Amino acid sequence: MRRTRIVFGLLAAGTATLALASLHARITTAPERARMARSAALVRAVGLTDLALFTEARFTRNPALADLQTAFQDAPMSFEHFPSGTFAPRPAAGFGRGELRFGPEEAAR
Amino acid sequence: MILQTPILALLLASALASAVALWAAWFGIRLLQHWDLASGSQRQLDLERRTELVSTLFGFVMLIEIAALFLLVFNADRMAALFVGAMCAVGTFNVNGWGFPALYLKITLFFAAALWLILDRVDRLGRDFPLTRLKFATILGIAPLVLAGFATELAFFLNMKTDVITSCCSKLFTPSNEGFAAEMTGLARAHALWLLGAAGGAVLVSGAAIVLRKRGERLFALAGAAFFFAALTAIVSVISLYVYDHPNHHCPFCLLKREYGYFGYALYVPLFAGTALALATGLLKTVANSDSLAGVQPKAIRHLTRLSLAGFALFGIAVLWSIATSQLILFG
Amino acid sequence: MTSWLRRQRALAEYTLAALARRRIKNTGLLLIYAMVIFVVASATLFATALRKEAEVVLAEAPEVIIQNLVMGRHDLIPGDVIAEIDGIRGVASIKGRLWGYFYDRLNGANYTLMVPLDPAMAPPAGQAIIGESLPRVREMPWETAPLFLSRTPGDLVRFDIAKRLSSDSALVSTDLILLNEANFRAFFELPEDVYTDIALSIRNPREIDTIVEKIGRLLPNARLVTRDEIARTYQKLFSWREGIMVLLAGASVLAFVIFAAEKASGLSAEETREIGILKAIGWDTGDVIAMKLWEGGLVSFGAFLLGTVLAYLHVFAFDAGLFASVLKGWSVIYPDFALTPGIDGLQLTALFFLTVLPYMAATIVPIWRAATADPDQVMR
Repeated sequence: MRRTRIVFGLLAAGTATLALASLHARITTAPERARMARSAALVRAVGLTDLALFTEARFTRNPALADLQTAFQDAPMSFEHFPSGTFAPRPAAGFGRGELRFGPEEAAR
Repeated sequence: MILQTPILALLLASALASAVALWAAWFGIRLLQHWDLASGSQRQLDLERRTELVSTLFGFVMLIEIAALFLLVFNADRMAALFVGAMCAVGTFNVNGWGFPALYLKITLFFAAALWLILDRVDRLGRDFPLTRLKFATILGIAPLVLAGFATELAFFLNMKTDVITSCCSKLFTPSNEGFAAEMTGLARAHALWLLGAAGGAVLVSGAAIVLRKRGERLFALAGAAFFFAALTAIVSVISLYVYDHPNHHCPFCLLKREYGYFGYALYVPLFAGTALALATGLLKTVANSDSLAGVQPKAIRHLTRLSLAGFALFGIAVLWSIATSQLILFG
Repeated sequence: MTSWLRRQRALAEYTLAALARRRIKNTGLLLIYAMVIFVVASATLFATALRKEAEVVLAEAPEVIIQNLVMGRHDLIPGDVIAEIDGIRGVASIKGRLWGYFYDRLNGANYTLMVPLDPAMAPPAGQAIIGESLPRVREMPWETAPLFLSRTPGDLVRFDIAKRLSSDSALVSTDLILLNEANFRAFFELPEDVYTDIALSIRNPREIDTIVEKIGRLLPNARLVTRDEIARTYQKLFSWREGIMVLLAGASVLAFVIFAAEKASGLSAEETREIGILKAIGWDTGDVIAMKLWEGGLVSFGAFLLGTVLAYLHVFAFDAGLFASVLKGWSVIYPDFALTPGIDGLQLTALFFLTVLPYMAATIVPIWRAATADPDQVMR
């Protein structure tokens, strides 16, 4: 009986902590939003396009603007050189919309 | 696209579910062939033991499938940000031809799972495995659904290309289109509300008949099913307008978004639960007639009816609340 | 209903007593399980927070960026392009962006040198605005210590510090050195009237697609990157990263599942005897399975809570210290940033699916095997 109470108490405490965590997340929303708004203002004023999270190489510093083939720039068959580059998505899926500017009929002509 | 946590979770759940369903179906075939309660053979003993395991496992699978429906919809809503032109879950499901089939299969599975779980529960109340044969016969029907669900889900997620321009809900749910969705949208608002009210009345009357007079179970199930479709039509045609405060926004999926306070869940969860329970009453009335369940069946049915009515009532309250708090005035 | 509750309570009590008898083994299982969940949960929380940050902050990026491509590579764009596309209706402003990379031979860091788009933001001549990490990696001795950059051996350019950017925006600005245009061109010996790329701002977001199409016809060699594409690149980048983390953690989930299955199937002699006795005193198979499910449920739920709460603390109180080295890679500069805390239902559900389901799947069959054994066989 006592043991059950302790264990269930612990589980309840864990649930409460998780609830507390989400409460914490909710409380910090407003100041965090203000902080992000300041960052966004900086982005606007400077004209930034990328996060400065991976500064090790050009295409990891600016993945949104990187050349399409940069991951293979050293040699066509070389695999990714930089650790953070290994996590970057495949270029084919990640960059641009890659459309031909003419239809099949025009190509036939 | 497959390397996203919710997608991995969904696929894992579906893969496990498929494995269990296959195994359960195989066992179901054996059981249907050899099941003989009168016999005391080793094989019968073995089967009786195994039903316990298979029922427990399959029960878990069914619970997971129910949860997976919500995960699928929630995830589709989240992923809309990744597609050109998508605003809500509709865009995600429209990204390729597999999205909506996957969703419809999951919804079908939801109802099948709920009914099966109730059968299982009632079966365990009887002393002589009263519904076991039926339970395993239905597994044979449900297992293909589980497998098909997994296959469509896999095809859906594997064929997702973010560069594809998908269509937004505003293109799907307009009266000017052809098709079922447009038909629902185009239904006159007052008609939709009247239809919903009539179905609600039928549910209430037949439900009361069960609780007070102990009859009308099948009618209640029918009324519940009718209410379900009337409710979906009404959501598309009128209720969504009230929630969005917008006279032309008909999408039944945008309701699930954060911007509208996840209001859709307050509508859909009680509606789906209420409908499944209503269907279950009719099912129990039809199949659970053996002697060992004589004492159990009416009690179970009444219990289910009360729960089902509670679900429909919650749905009704949510609808009334959305109308009452809306800025939009459509009538009068 | 009450009889059902009473049965469950009795089962829970019995289960806890049984668990307590093998305290060390079960605590070990719980801790390993919690650790697995911790890794997966940290990855999802971290990636979601980064995604959110990127979504909000980069929403202010220029609507369209025009890049010049030469031999398939990003190249400088001549300034007369600006005049060429000036007439397009709907474009609010067209500005050449000047930015470039600078490799610091002193410490191996890469900086991003840039001229702010907004002229009001540009520092006066000979001065620079620096990002949060520069004082750290250059070990600047005092607050206004000037910045010396060396382009070639023997060369030294001095910039006084006009301002340090606040660490609030570290995630976008940590490696920035902002200069004015004249200083920038002089520093990189760049001719007049070329730009790195061109930024358009467009007033009505609905017109972006048509404007992009028009520019595409005018400048067939250019590559156009819209703000939506930038946002999607980041959404995908972090989802992908998260997925890889989860997949890696999947290996440990698998290992744990094998461990759990092994533990459940290789029941110790003591446990087997216990089940035999229970069956002998009248428990049926269903009761034993229910008891074992209680056991699994308690362990899973406890581990799930522990792992998730720890992951929350790790990511938001300790700034995801364990992942920093993975993300940092070989770069010298790593932003000192705090993330916006957040938990949502989708994450938690996905996490629950990914961790608890395999455990359940692995243990249920061994449990059934134990539960269906004949008492006399077990006790012998």
